[in-house]
Amino acid sequence: MEKKILNGNEALALGALRAGVKVITGYPGTPSTRALASLLAMNLPDRHVEWSTNEKVALEIATGASWAGQRALCTMKMSGLNVAYDSLISIAHSGCIGGLVIYVADDPGVSAGMAEQDSRGFAYMSDLPMLDPASPAEAYRQVQEAFELSEQIGSPVFIRMVTAIANSKTLVEVEEAGPALVREPVLVNDIQRFTKAGSAIAMGQHREVIARLKRARRIIQERGLNPLALSAQAGGLGIIASGVVSSYLDECLDLLVPHGFLPDEVSILKVAAVNPIPVEEIQALLMHVDTILVLEELEPYLEKEVYVQAYRSGVHHRIIGKLDSFFSRVGEYGVREVTQGIAEGLGLSIPLELFEGRAAETLAAARPITLCAGCPHRGTFMAINQALRKLRYKKNDVMVTGDIGCTILGMNPPFSTVWNEISMGASVALAQGFVHAGVKTPVIATIGDSTFFHAGIPGLINAIQHQVDLTLIIMDNGWTAMTGMQVNPGTASDFQKPHDQSVDIARVVPGLGVEHFFTVDPFDYKGSTAVIQQALGKPGVKVILARRECAIQTQRRGETQAKAVVDMQKCALCKLCINLTGCPALSIQDGAFLIDLSLCNGCGLCVETCNLDALRVEVLA
Amino acid sequence: MRFDLYLVGVGGQGVLTIGEVLVEAARLEGIHVNYYPTEGMAQRGGFVKAQIRFGREIVGPNIPEKGADLVFAVEVSEALRAVRYVKPDGDFLLYAHVWQPTAVMLGKAGYPELGQVCSEVESAGARMVVLDPERLPELDGTAIPYNLYTLGAAVGCTNLGKLFPPGGIQQAIRERRPKDAVRNVLAFEAGIQVGQ
Repeated sequence: MEKKILNGNEALALGALRAGVKVITGYPGTPSTRALASLLAMNLPDRHVEWSTNEKVALEIATGASWAGQRALCTMKMSGLNVAYDSLISIAHSGCIGGLVIYVADDPGVSAGMAEQDSRGFAYMSDLPMLDPASPAEAYRQVQEAFELSEQIGSPVFIRMVTAIANSKTLVEVEEAGPALVREPVLVNDIQRFTKAGSAIAMGQHREVIARLKRARRIIQERGLNPLALSAQAGGLGIIASGVVSSYLDECLDLLVPHGFLPDEVSILKVAAVNPIPVEEIQALLMHVDTILVLEELEPYLEKEVYVQAYRSGVHHRIIGKLDSFFSRVGEYGVREVTQGIAEGLGLSIPLELFEGRAAETLAAARPITLCAGCPHRGTFMAINQALRKLRYKKNDVMVTGDIGCTILGMNPPFSTVWNEISMGASVALAQGFVHAGVKTPVIATIGDSTFFHAGIPGLINAIQHQVDLTLIIMDNGWTAMTGMQVNPGTASDFQKPHDQSVDIARVVPGLGVEHFFTVDPFDYKGSTAVIQQALGKPGVKVILARRECAIQTQRRGETQAKAVVDMQKCALCKLCINLTGCPALSIQDGAFLIDLSLCNGCGLCVETCNLDALRVEVLA
Repeated sequence: MRFDLYLVGVGGQGVLTIGEVLVEAARLEGIHVNYYPTEGMAQRGGFVKAQIRFGREIVGPNIPEKGADLVFAVEVSEALRAVRYVKPDGDFLLYAHVWQPTAVMLGKAGYPELGQVCSEVESAGARMVVLDPERLPELDGTAIPYNLYTLGAAVGCTNLGKLFPPGGIQQAIRERRPKDAVRNVLAFEAGIQVGQ
């Protein structure tokens, strides 16, 4: 046993190793990324670890490994689960052979953007067990439980974590990871289990998935994963707390002592296994107490089941939760929500101002996130804007659809180029809808390289088939950058794992039959502008590959070879360069124009904007 | 001893380094700790926050409003985002660095005065300590790292010093970057002296 400082992601990763996992796949997505990234960094010779093209691909690979008898882990953020879900339902109905654990990270409170969704709902829809650890230490243990459970019942098992657990670091006791389980792969030919053709097969599998969940219920109960602590005296308040919320209970009960709380007034059911819902424990709690408080973030899944069980048990307790509008379905729960809920349930009055701090943040300066200094995307957004100006379009004349990743930063000033964001790869198809709707001005779609591989290609194929008049700009910086620099199919071969091969977008796109295909260097502002102008004038599908490696990566490798230099004799402090580039390396302080040389990589885009010839790029000796 | 620490600043100022150092120091001293940094969008130049909760084995990661024993801020405007979280009798330590967002630099948006921040903290009932960047000591002609200097000040003048003897933090600082150990420990110690 050793105590290590781990966040939830890292703890889950080490727990999976301890469970002997053989194949680990996933797609990066905050806050889940670190789980797989930490394993990849370990260079594990006896396991296969990879970033897959997208979450659906990742899950299918993990499933193949499981069906061949190995233990497999698949990791993703909640949006990725949406992508994987088509396959997941089918896999759930077929079950698995080797342990198959799917880790999904939810983001209540939205620390990283994207829709605030509660992935527990997917567990209910697919009848898959789901564990919801309340700390990194629980994540370490529960992922091991999940592998055991998966093999015992023959079904994939979910582990769900919220951002506050996935990213929280704490001391976790871990054992030696040990090697991967040594198992000869098996080939099981059983079309009743592994195909879906025909109602007999499909309905048989539906019965099976329900039966497996029932077996899971029994095992979870035997292992005591959902501990129920009843008060010595019957009556009082019954608290049902799900996942991370249960970690606030001790603190909140302590807080209530000065307000008249007596420790033996509450009974507590901590729900770590959120599917199957522990109905027997809920019934036992209902029979013991007078009032129920349900503490769960986002959707009232447990709460609705409490109503059902109350009806079946013939009790008419007050149930405090979301259905009575006491709590919101939006955002995280913290000390405030938990304390107020308990106080409400016990009829204690606590002063509201206890948790109402002074709202000074309204005075703070807005700090929208922008592109890094030297980012190649800056040149592309500047070139799009310039090309539209040259074609005499006004702002808001031309639809530019956006996509997921760093490229979405084009929505912010000073560019304000990109209009919308849906999901991975959506920009290309969304653009086609605008064209079919009859928009007369050009329609442009923007997308990053990893996003293009992930789900952009089907949209492009559709545009080609139906010969839609649009311009797709693929902003290829060679990395999955927004999530912290992961390798994707297009990453240069030098940075792929040994034996892996890079897939070249410049060969993929013409291969699909795109006639108007251009490649530009985003640092070549005039050249990129001219190509975009030219492309917008052509009919049919035009694809521009704006290609240059992410500035963070070239800086890390010490490959920066030039810096911008200002001539203060010529600089009039007009700020035009800052206005047009929004580059974080440029500033004016105390009447002087400054270039932060620790950030500048000499991209030269500021030079292009200067009317006074005050800026130039100097190549470093 | 239970102690909640709320850290704010801008990506690139070394806020998360302070968090990492304190977590390591807690490990060395055998203190329970939960450290919850923001991650993902916290690139250079973006708002960064981190929450550290010492002294409970099982604890929710988020510090409630009016819950932080100490707010540790290293940027004037971002400090305002933490005022909500300071305890009425807690400490609010600000290294008064100004990092203007682009819109402010262009004259398109305003930026708060230091005095406004002080009066907000005062209205929140907390003790305000401001470190003046003009007075940041130098070593060999270059300024010492102000994040560690500010951490030193926190140990010197707030209850963080009661939680941690300086030795554990010094060890954590040394082990984190052995190459810069001398400079970094010196920054921390200079901060302690200013704090006292």
